[in-house]
Amino acid sequence: MSQPGTVYVVDDDHDLAASVARLLRRHGHAAEPFLDPTPLLAIYEDAPADCVVADVMMGDLDGFGFADRLRAIDPATAIVFMTAWPTTANAVDSIRRYGGLDYLEKPIDEDRLVAAIAEGVAWSHRRRANIARTMSLTPREREVLNLLVRGHPNKVIAAELGLSPKTIEDHRAAIVAKTGANGLAQLIALTE
Amino acid sequence: MGIWTLRGAAWLPAYALGFYILFQVAAIWGGSGFYSLWYPAAGLRFAVLWRRGARATGWIVLAELTVQLVTGVVAAAGADWPQEVWSIMRPGIGYGIAVGAVQYLANRTKGARFTTPPMPLGLASALAPFVAMVLSLPTVFLRPDFTRVDSPAEVVGSLAVFTVGDLLGVLMIAPPLLWLADTIEHGERPALTRPRFGAVIEGAAVLAIASALVWALDYIGLGRQMTPVLLAVAWIGLRFGRAAVWCAILATALVVLPRTAELAALGATLSLHMGLSAIAVVGYLAGSFADADAQARADLARRDRLLFQAERLKTLRAMSVAVIHEISQPLSTLAIEARHLAGISASSPGVPSELHDGALLIERKTAALATLVRRLRRFGGRAVDDPSPLQIAALIDTVATLVKPEARAASVKLVIVAGDPDLVVLAQEIELSQAVVNLVRNAVRATANREVEIVAERLNGAVRIRVSNALESASAPTDGMGVGLLVARTIIEAHGGHLRRVERPGSIAHILTLPLAEDLP
Repeated sequence: MSQPGTVYVVDDDHDLAASVARLLRRHGHAAEPFLDPTPLLAIYEDAPADCVVADVMMGDLDGFGFADRLRAIDPATAIVFMTAWPTTANAVDSIRRYGGLDYLEKPIDEDRLVAAIAEGVAWSHRRRANIARTMSLTPREREVLNLLVRGHPNKVIAAELGLSPKTIEDHRAAIVAKTGANGLAQLIALTE
Repeated sequence: MGIWTLRGAAWLPAYALGFYILFQVAAIWGGSGFYSLWYPAAGLRFAVLWRRGARATGWIVLAELTVQLVTGVVAAAGADWPQEVWSIMRPGIGYGIAVGAVQYLANRTKGARFTTPPMPLGLASALAPFVAMVLSLPTVFLRPDFTRVDSPAEVVGSLAVFTVGDLLGVLMIAPPLLWLADTIEHGERPALTRPRFGAVIEGAAVLAIASALVWALDYIGLGRQMTPVLLAVAWIGLRFGRAAVWCAILATALVVLPRTAELAALGATLSLHMGLSAIAVVGYLAGSFADADAQARADLARRDRLLFQAERLKTLRAMSVAVIHEISQPLSTLAIEARHLAGISASSPGVPSELHDGALLIERKTAALATLVRRLRRFGGRAVDDPSPLQIAALIDTVATLVKPEARAASVKLVIVAGDPDLVVLAQEIELSQAVVNLVRNAVRATANREVEIVAERLNGAVRIRVSNALESASAPTDGMGVGLLVARTIIEAHGGHLRRVERPGSIAHILTLPLAEDLP
């Protein structure tokens, strides 16, 4: 059984949004339908979701515009797009430019939708946990972490930041202590 | 003349025989210092060259040379034999040059002025005798003795006679021969429509008035002036085209030629024949121009119809895409709810089985509808796709899904034998589906027994898809303009395959063959 999560379904066809929300509730998620993305954005900060399912073609604010504004508020929510006008260009954009997890064609393939949501919720949970672990890092430590995960040795990082290798060593120890991540692989996983 | 139905070089003896007969006929209008004032053999030569193209020149020359040598018109003995042989070869070569040049230019400058058929034919037939005459100039000036004429005046006269004789021969004999060849080639379809009664009356009247004028001028002692007939024939050509003008030229020739055969004075004969050849050239060019004009108009009208059709298709496509969008929205809801209903009715005890069956049925139907909508959209929405491996069974399934509604509306059953599921071709799915859909739709419209058969099978490293239907009569009823078939053929050939049409008594099949994916480089 996949992890349950909070999911918002945004579609200007109310029946479809409600139907998809009910479907997701049956799969254990706390799902809510929204007819319009604007009210959702207004309340989103107080009630963030793990995954948002959005129609691409909507009235005033389309799915992509909505995704941009949503990402600005919450970089840790997964976005799944659905559309009745699928095009290759939109499919590529939805994944590459708007960080979508999937691009579903209507009529919706139910199994694929459920699988995408499960994946999205799991990803969002991981992401939030990682963000929480790196929260306490100082700006300097964050800089060091970003260079570390690119595979740079201490000396190079020291030269880059104008610090001594000893200081880098200290920052590194602090990062490990604060996040509990040990070794390069775990550090990389943190910044995913 | 059955020579066009003969294949390979078998036409050559037939040409030689025809040439021999017409050559003999021409002697009736012969005279001293020239061969004939009416030379029908030139018409046969021109017709064959026009049909077979300039590359047949060598064969034509060979045939003529053989005939002249065998019948003893020229002797390959004497000291002058190269000159003799050249004089026989010259006209054929000249005609070959004229035909080759005109056909080359007409192909090179398609769409330009005077290149709409039958204008090139008209130009070539008027040009060929002149080219042949020009080729004879070196001999005339270098070896005047060889032309068997003495004075310069006679030389010029001889050249004029030669040209006039050939012109008359070409313009009177070649058109009916070419028409006959076209008719034979196109089977029973008549290449000539029945003339309109009004046109016949008008043409006859114009020609009669002109003839009366000629007679009147002659009667009051002003000599035989052919100009009125020239104008009349030009009029007929411009108004009614080549067929009508040829009849008018023939009528004129039938009046003039028998008389000139008896005339003794060369001057009088030449004058009449020059008049006649002027009438033939002007009339034939006018007729060709009128026909080319009609052809251009017909092409334009056809293009207009195609454009109109394309415009309608574009609108239809936009409409269908919109409809698909509108349907897919509620269908998504329906599919989700139907599946849920079917699920709970199965798991909850006490639900009547009828209710459960109903829910299952609704679920199945909405799922099928969703698949159909996705396929329709894929078919109509995208314009290009990359070649990818495509299962023939899946292709035929798609085609059947797309054509079924139309087939059902026409009460036609699609009998499908999809064959081996391993048959895979490298194809642009949308395009190839379009091609097969077009073939199946044509079959659905044409079938005589409410059945269309689609069979796919492996055949020596290729896949063969046969779309066949029963046929009532030999001629298939066609609505539409065959654009569908044209599109299908283009697509199939772009996929490295080919499309064949096999007609048997009572049935017709379109067979498309495509290379299998494993055999592709």
